[in-house]
Amino acid sequence: MFANVFTKSTRDTVPVGVFGAIAIGVFLFFALWVYQDVDTSFYYDLPAGILDLMGINPEGDGAAGIAFGAVFNLMGAFIAAGLALSWGASAIAGEERDGTFGFLLGNPVSRRGVLVSKTGSLLLTVGIMSLLLFGLAVGAAALLDVNTAGLFVDAITFAVFINSLFYGFLALAIGTWTGKRSVASGAAAGIMIVGYLAASLLPLADLEWLAQIFPWYYFSASAPINNGLNWGHIAVLGGLIVAAFFVAYVGVQRRDLREKGTDKTVLDRLRANPTTQKMMDRVAGSARVSRISTKAFSDHQGLFTITVAIMFYMGVLIPPLYNLIPEDFIDIFATFPDALVAMIGGVDMGTPTGFLTGENFALVGPIAIIVLCASIGARALAGEEEAHTMDLLLANPVSRSHVVLEKTQAMIGYAVLFGLLTFIGTWIGVWLGGLDEVSVSGMASVSLLLALFGLVYGAIALLMSAATGRRGQSIAVTTGIALVTWFMFSFFPLSETFEPIANFSPFHWYLGSDPLLNGMDWPGAGLLAGTFVVLVAASIHLFQRRDILIGKG
Amino acid sequence: MSDLAIKTEGLTKHYGEVKALEDLDLEVKMGEVFGFLGPNGAGKTTTIRTILDLIRPTRGKATIVGLDSHADAVEIRNHIGYLPSDLSMYDNLTGRDMITYFGNLRGGVERSVVDSLADRLQANLSKKIGDYSSGNRQKVGLILAFMNKPQVIIMDEPSAGLDPLVQREFQTMMREVASEGRTVFLSSHTLSEVQRVADRVGIIRNGHLVDVEFVDDLRSKAVRRVELQFSGPVDAATFESIDGVRDVSVASHHAVMSFDGSMGELLAAATDHYTLVDINTQEADLEEIFLDYYRVDEKVDA
Repeated sequence: MFANVFTKSTRDTVPVGVFGAIAIGVFLFFALWVYQDVDTSFYYDLPAGILDLMGINPEGDGAAGIAFGAVFNLMGAFIAAGLALSWGASAIAGEERDGTFGFLLGNPVSRRGVLVSKTGSLLLTVGIMSLLLFGLAVGAAALLDVNTAGLFVDAITFAVFINSLFYGFLALAIGTWTGKRSVASGAAAGIMIVGYLAASLLPLADLEWLAQIFPWYYFSASAPINNGLNWGHIAVLGGLIVAAFFVAYVGVQRRDLREKGTDKTVLDRLRANPTTQKMMDRVAGSARVSRISTKAFSDHQGLFTITVAIMFYMGVLIPPLYNLIPEDFIDIFATFPDALVAMIGGVDMGTPTGFLTGENFALVGPIAIIVLCASIGARALAGEEEAHTMDLLLANPVSRSHVVLEKTQAMIGYAVLFGLLTFIGTWIGVWLGGLDEVSVSGMASVSLLLALFGLVYGAIALLMSAATGRRGQSIAVTTGIALVTWFMFSFFPLSETFEPIANFSPFHWYLGSDPLLNGMDWPGAGLLAGTFVVLVAASIHLFQRRDILIGKG
Repeated sequence: MSDLAIKTEGLTKHYGEVKALEDLDLEVKMGEVFGFLGPNGAGKTTTIRTILDLIRPTRGKATIVGLDSHADAVEIRNHIGYLPSDLSMYDNLTGRDMITYFGNLRGGVERSVVDSLADRLQANLSKKIGDYSSGNRQKVGLILAFMNKPQVIIMDEPSAGLDPLVQREFQTMMREVASEGRTVFLSSHTLSEVQRVADRVGIIRNGHLVDVEFVDDLRSKAVRRVELQFSGPVDAATFESIDGVRDVSVASHHAVMSFDGSMGELLAAATDHYTLVDINTQEADLEEIFLDYYRVDEKVDA
């Protein structure tokens, strides 16, 4: 039985891990390729402190160092840890949500037995993913004949392995105690993102001691790619992993299992309470189900709240932080060569608008709104099909194109709200930080462009959803396109060969004109809006033509 | 409006190599309850989803109340109620929300009709769909299918999870619809429920419509099931030689068989050789007739 649970869990997760490792490997390959084309001699003129901050080893090959640093320290680490935490959250809480945990326990196997099997499977899958990643990294460097002298590829891979395991076990422990998968993955992801931000930003403001309470610090601070493993830091993560396992081991035995069913939300409690019932019924019972768009709008409140809260919080937090950056850093930022500036979003980090764009609008904003819009787009059609509800919905006198348009309206509503709250959050932050250089029109422009930008990726997911009826495929393809277009925007301008192609990226239409500094870019907005409209029209066309699916089949 | 509720002509659906449905010609009249029978995987759901324009036929066409199933798909949905098999709804809505939602999408649904349906089916509408048992979820599905008083109600395996009392009420509801001149089309693999409520049945197997019969005709064709109890052990061979006897099974003093011959001959054989203690004979239910169809087909196949 142990072996069975172990094998089944491993079989479910390993393909995803292999896919993740390959995705990271492909990006490393492209990063190395692009950087071969770039004159990297400028690195050697930079002060050692700056190189250190950017994770670049002055003794190594500049191109390889910067490519490995960008891929492994940030994107690769996030993808690997994100996958691990989704597996950890699914291990126990996921089985409960699906109603299969009780079924599993109908066999002669203890709860702790299941936990140990699942833990072993998590360990093995993350291990396979990391080993594959190491092989691909070494292979990519060899294939392109890139000199990796002075880079500790084995150390960074091991650090990624331990770091990912920690978030996997953290999610496992939370899931084991709460029995709620969404709580487990949400809390673990929150700890991961806040930790990353703290570990990267706090040292800038001389608050390294504070950064040490965040787990991400023990992954990134010692820069394993340049310095090899810091065993003290690895030991901290190892200790946390053991502690998380112990917490899960105690927790799994203690509580009643959840039945398959729904969670009680605040709204449900208010509806059950006689004094608030009437009002809440009007909101939840009537407004929400008045039409398809309002129903679709109400279905994504949780995700919207999380993504917009991150963006709002960053908007309020980052502008005042600008004042904490020491003067010398600002001076050095100003002397950065163009190629390096391009890599950090093409902005001058030494100015308030550049700092704000680099911190909030170049990466965090796009990720947050793409996650939101792509999830809405993918769920719009494929979600209803996978949940078996599309048949029932289409038994009503509504056409398929009407369904697509109503769902699109909900997406537009969310994108607009997201842009508005981003604007308000940033405006408050700018006011708190007293950054007079940042104009209101600049903030409004970048927020509006961000909303349009998100809609493009939402429409890509919608198109995939309309074409395939598969939510997973829609999200995977949209994520892939998002990564490729980000890569085009960030790295292609550095190479003469690739530069012209960068203009085709929606990232370029959104940020290329530096809207926070220069105000509204109408051609960019037009391109984004036009692409969105074309994609939605194509979605209607494709959805009308095909068979409706039932289930994940 | 046409006097045919549903009509299909050469309706065919292939999934690659798999022939899910092959040249289905079916006519369902207004004012009848039509049972669509077949084992799992025979093509019942494929038929229903094709005539509802959820999936598109490889060949052939279908009309509902005289309207083309593809070209007039939206208009058709004003005249139908539909209950899919393996019913799923929105887990985070209450039963009442679900009904309000679809009521809004349809328009013109009377609250009194909903309340009376809920009352008859003893449905609790205040809980969230995700927290219902499958039977209670099914009741909400039935309300959705009946609430707009449609011309044609199409239901795929509607009795799943309903308790016997509610099933009986549900059957009454179907007969009421038919008596108002409206139509019920229901698929099933449990024949006993269809037997009680349907006027006609269509039998589908491997994507082919095997037969369409009036339930009464089907029954009159039927073999009887005969049980004989004797005072001592009997031999199966005694009965097997008699015309019309099939599937004899003997356990010591007890013999059971299917029979569609002359009762006198059977009784003579039984009393000539042994002392008959008790006799029990009953009309075969559709289940056995149905199995009979398969036996015949298997012989043909072989």
